[in-house]
Amino acid sequence: MFDPKTKVLVVDDMLTMRKIVTKILKELGFSDIHEAQDGQEAWDKCQTGGFGLIISDWNMPNCTGLEFLRRIRADQKLAKTPFLLVTAEAEQSQVAEAIKCGVDQYVVKPFSKDALKVKLESTYKKVSVRLAA
Amino acid sequence: MDSFVRPCYQVEKHEGYTVVKLEASLDFTNCKVFETQVEEISSNVYVVVNCDSLPELPKDWLRCLLKMHLNTKRDNKFLKLIHVNGMLQSCLKREGIDTTFRVAKDLRDALQETGLAPKRTLDTEFINPFLTATVHVLKVQAQIEATAGQIYMKKPREVMTGDISGVIGIISDTFDGSVVISFPEKTFLKVISSMLGEEYTKIDQEIVDGAGELTNMIFGQAKIVLNEKGYGIKTAIPSVISGKDHSLSALTKGPVVVVPFTTPHGKFFVEICLSQ
Repeated sequence: MFDPKTKVLVVDDMLTMRKIVTKILKELGFSDIHEAQDGQEAWDKCQTGGFGLIISDWNMPNCTGLEFLRRIRADQKLAKTPFLLVTAEAEQSQVAEAIKCGVDQYVVKPFSKDALKVKLESTYKKVSVRLAA
Repeated sequence: MDSFVRPCYQVEKHEGYTVVKLEASLDFTNCKVFETQVEEISSNVYVVVNCDSLPELPKDWLRCLLKMHLNTKRDNKFLKLIHVNGMLQSCLKREGIDTTFRVAKDLRDALQETGLAPKRTLDTEFINPFLTATVHVLKVQAQIEATAGQIYMKKPREVMTGDISGVIGIISDTFDGSVVISFPEKTFLKVISSMLGEEYTKIDQEIVDGAGELTNMIFGQAKIVLNEKGYGIKTAIPSVISGKDHSLSALTKGPVVVVPFTTPHGKFFVEICLSQ
């Protein structure tokens, strides 16, 4: 599992959803949690943020979660940041597109604390393998 | 669906026609598999190839499309491409086959001359996914049990009122509609308080978008189920209407179904509208 000291960035245009994710993360022991309301603001924060985990909504105005993910994976400094996408619509074609862009995991809304925990554990395992390679 | 798959095409068979959706990740290996299915896909049916988000067609895939095109011609049917963007048009021109394939705007346009364009009605197949999604979303995200009441058709001059509502448009190639989820203040505050783990006593900027997020989740869940049945509903962003006893009208003209729900914290309702 992630070290609870990991610095996390939660990205969502809906304040309510940011609050839900933050609440669950706190229940899972995380405390260093930051927020951004779209991909552009998140990208700006990543330039100096040093985040160890990004949890981003998919469907956002200005810069979508997928566009934000593409920018992260294309950036030499940020490319290996663990990235979890949150979506309300997990259709096969969309999932395939997210994998192509390098997402580590995705979670479908609505989700419980346990569901997010499972996804975080899976993300952590994937990232550990990636970093060891 | 909880596993990662990498399909680069999907085939939906309907009565009299087949829709083939090609993804941007077309590769040689999947083309070999697709090639073995060409005869089955294109025999004695109209074929519509959805090229949405496809920047180009590799030569192997073009060959498969040409085979399907010839099969449909043999059977006095047709193959049409839909959602063809500028890049793909240039690619077809480069290959010298830009006039070989017939191109249509969307599925409805492609099937217009055949009379097969799917008609959608406000039946249980369409309504039930929204009903199930509403119950599921409230249970998982707010730990609240909602129970659906008697569904009824809204009368022409009937006015529904709520204190806060989430609205989302239903857009697809073959029909339009809308979904509205409307709460009295008391019910909404209980739902949001339960979702966020804090007690809220008034609707303010901090929680107002919660109605939109609930709508988004319910729409998203229903969309997965409906699109597996070939409805082709596209992604949309919800909006929120807030104000004591505001009245609501659907985004599109057509019959409206009202689904009343009860919870231990009060009532709310969902309105589903489908244009004719």
